[in-house]
Order: sequence, then C-alpha cells, then structure tokens
Amino acid sequence: MHSVTLYHWEPNANSGKPMLALLEKGVAFESHYLDLLAFDQHKPEYLAVNPQGTIPAMRHGERVLTESTAIMEYVEECFPGPRLMPADARDRWRVRWWMKLMDQWLGPSFSMFGWSVFVGPAVRARDPKELDAAVERIPLPERRVAWRKAISGQFSAEELAESKRRCELGVRLLEEELGRREWLASPQYSLADINGFNLAYALPVSQPHLANDDVTPNIMRWLRAIYARPATRKCWAYGRTNLAKRVAILEQPHIGAVREGA
Amino acid sequence: MSLILYHGEPNGPSLTVLAALFAKDVAAELVPIALEHGARHQLPCAREPLVALSIEGEGPVLVADGEAMSDSLFIACYLDDVGRGVALRPPGAYARWEVMAWCRQLIERTAPAAALLGCHAHPPRIDAGTLAQVGSVDLRARWEAMSAQRFSPEQLADSRSKIGQATERTEARLDGREWLLGGFSVADLESYAWLAGMAALVPEAFAQRPRTREWLERVRAQPAVARALALARSPDPSAVWSVGPEINRWG
Repeated sequence: MHSVTLYHWEPNANSGKPMLALLEKGVAFESHYLDLLAFDQHKPEYLAVNPQGTIPAMRHGERVLTESTAIMEYVEECFPGPRLMPADARDRWRVRWWMKLMDQWLGPSFSMFGWSVFVGPAVRARDPKELDAAVERIPLPERRVAWRKAISGQFSAEELAESKRRCELGVRLLEEELGRREWLASPQYSLADINGFNLAYALPVSQPHLANDDVTPNIMRWLRAIYARPATRKCWAYGRTNLAKRVAILEQPHIGAVREGA
Repeated sequence: MSLILYHGEPNGPSLTVLAALFAKDVAAELVPIALEHGARHQLPCAREPLVALSIEGEGPVLVADGEAMSDSLFIACYLDDVGRGVALRPPGAYARWEVMAWCRQLIERTAPAAALLGCHAHPPRIDAGTLAQVGSVDLRARWEAMSAQRFSPEQLADSRSKIGQATERTEARLDGREWLLGGFSVADLESYAWLAGMAALVPEAFAQRPRTREWLERVRAQPAVARALALARSPDPSAVWSVGPEINRWG
C-alpha cells in the first residue's frame, strides 16, 4: 500500500495539478477517482476525508491536504526527484504569481465555459429532485451557487462576455510570456508549467480561434513540449472521459487558425 | 541587490510586506505612495503585466534589480528567502503547506470582504486622469464601483459574514496556541493585515472571540509589525483602504 492517496477527478484543471506533480517527482500513489458528475465529492465517504467537499485532496500517511496549488508545493518539498521549483528566489516569486493568476483569475473564466458546455449539460438530464438534493449536500455555500448556475445554465450574457474577455487577454499574456523564455515563469520547467498545462492543454479544442500554431506559436510549442514528457502521458492516462481525451490534439503537427465560431 | 518598495499605509497588503521586510532585516528604499488614490498607476513600472494585472488589487510593488514584483504574500515569501532572521514560514513541508493553504483561503474569502467593507467605510478617491491609467479592466471597474460607493446590501452582508467566518476560524485555531500555525509566521501577518481594521467595522465578529482579540494585540506588538505601523502618515492606518481583490465571480 502506498503512503500517498490522491483523491481526484479527471487529469484536468485542479485535479491534474498534484497528480502531474507526483508523477514528475516519481512518487507512487494510490489513485482514488471521484466522479464529479455523479457528485462523488459531496458524498459522506469523501466528506469524511475533506469536509469542504472540494477536489482534489491528498492523504499522506495520516495527514490530509487540500488546495491543489499548495499541495503541489508540498509534493515538491516533501519528495525527492527532479526539482519543480527554481532555485532563484525571484523565479519562485514569478512561479507563484502566475499560479495565482491562473487559479483565481484565468481558470474560473475558462471553467465558466467548461461548466456551461460540459458539466451543466452532462448533469442536467437527471431527475431535478435528485439534483436539488445533491446540491444541498455541498458544504461550501459559494460552491452551491456555482453548481446551481451550471445545472440551470444561468450564466448571464455579461458574465460570459467578461469570461471571454479574460480568456482572450489571458491567452495573449501567456503567448507573450512564453515568447520571453522556454518555460512559463522560470528558466526551468516548474509547477507553473504543470499548473498552466492543466489549464490550457485543451485550448486548441475549446478555443481554436485563440490558440493555434498561426496565432500562438509559443503556446503551442510549450503545450507540445509538456505533452511530450513521460509524466504527462502517464497522467492523462488516468482520464476516463472525453474531457481528458482532448489532449490528443497536441499530437497533430500543425493546427491552423480558424475563425471564431467556425 | 537593489530594492525599492513602493508601499501604502501600513494596512492590508502593504502592512504584510513592510513587516516582512523588517522581520527579515532586508534593506530597501521605502517609497510611500497613496494607494488609496491609485498612485501605483503612476509608477514607471505600472504598465508591466505582472504589476498591472496583479489580482490583489491596490497592493505594494517591490522592484528588485529592475524587476517589479506584486502580490504581498508572494513578495513576503521572496523576502523570507533572501533575508536574514527567523523564518516567516515554518520548517517542514507540512507546516509550510498549512501556511500556504491558510493564506490561500484567507486571500480568496477574507481579503475581498475586508477590502470591500474598508472601502465602504473609508472610500478611496481616484481622479479621472489616474483612473484612465488603470491597466486592468476589471480593477478599473472595481475602482468605479468603489468611487461611486455602489454597494448592494447583499454584498455588504455577505462580506460581514465572511469576516465572521474568518474570526471564527481564527478563534478555533488559537485554542491553546499563541500563533496561528506553529511560531509567528506570514500567516499571522497576512491575517492580521486584513483583519485588524475589521475590529471597528464588524465588531460583532470579534465580540465573543477573546483569543482573536488577544492575538491581534500580540501581532501588533511584534517588533517588525510595530516598526511598520510606525511608518503611518495617518492617525489610524487601519482606516485607510484601497480597492482590493475581487469577490469570487462564481463559486
């Protein structure tokens, strides 16, 4: 039995971050897959692990850790293996700055679209009473609001427009930063790249007009370089749905520009 | 190493960075600026993306050998790495995880609420010319809302409730402890920086929480914090607020 258990959904967004960090470090772990679309994360057995009902969580020995980015820093410090934080203090500041932008500003905008086109429709067909009961079990009030909006498709035109603006600006920022150096935040591959790949790996599928070889060559170079890493291949093999399978687009040698909405 | 710190009154994010600087005995040129009037947007580095798009809102900027750094918690981590003296993050991976996870929840839930209530009680003012220089569209929108004092009763009630949740967590955490997480750490600094000004604005959140009130006094008496507070140019720096991080847009 492994001393590390990771409770996760698909290798995507927050769940994929500690998973990829563990695989990069070569840490063996027990995978405990939670089906987000079946509300596994709000069931009593998981709330006994993480009372906030958020995914992912990691058990290491007797301790349970939450908050995906903080877990990644723990994995980096706790286990031997390749270093995923740069040695230079200012580079470390840059890694953290980018992770916060992606976690709290860009990620929620991407996921608003993800929830409106994937998560919402996937669960909406179920019995409304069953859904209502599932939402009522969510411990954090703000997550209850988020699920209600996703289920009922209640994102307003203004909210979606603001998310679109942030996605466009965020992609432009990433492209500019990746034009300055090989990796996102430091001269070496770091947690910021792991975080960023989890956020952006499917951009050529979900936002093909924003991210492609003609418009964002640096982002595409970066995504393919991360996808080529053995740890990334192992990580995405944990996927069970079409969400994770989108990563295969990075196997195409060239992805040309398309018009928005095409 | 050349360091210039542009900071506001010792409250909120500026307090965290000033106290970290003093605790770690790092030499820097200190340049006070009126964050509550948007003065950060007139700095030479204001348009650099990692300053203009800082999602902390109006926080301090540390320029290290020409690179402008924003976000108070991460600047404090940087100072912890390069400075001398007692570590601001405890030794051990788990203890450091506790600090980062605590601060993340504080930054996401408490800081936006505190900044909103602070700006409601002590409105920041920005002139039209400076407002036009604010590089981030969403930060500019928050400035416009705060300047016009556009607050809904629901926003205010939700923010007061979040301050209550923060003091509840703090009170529970301080049971049998002097500091939030092991020894005095950046978690104490960051928590104090956002909560100190709330005692006057949301007194009910502190009323039945004696451990939290005593902890506030202990943090205030820390030499590095006292030295930061002594830089105040106003009678009560905990009553000086500028636009903070946004309240979660959804979930």
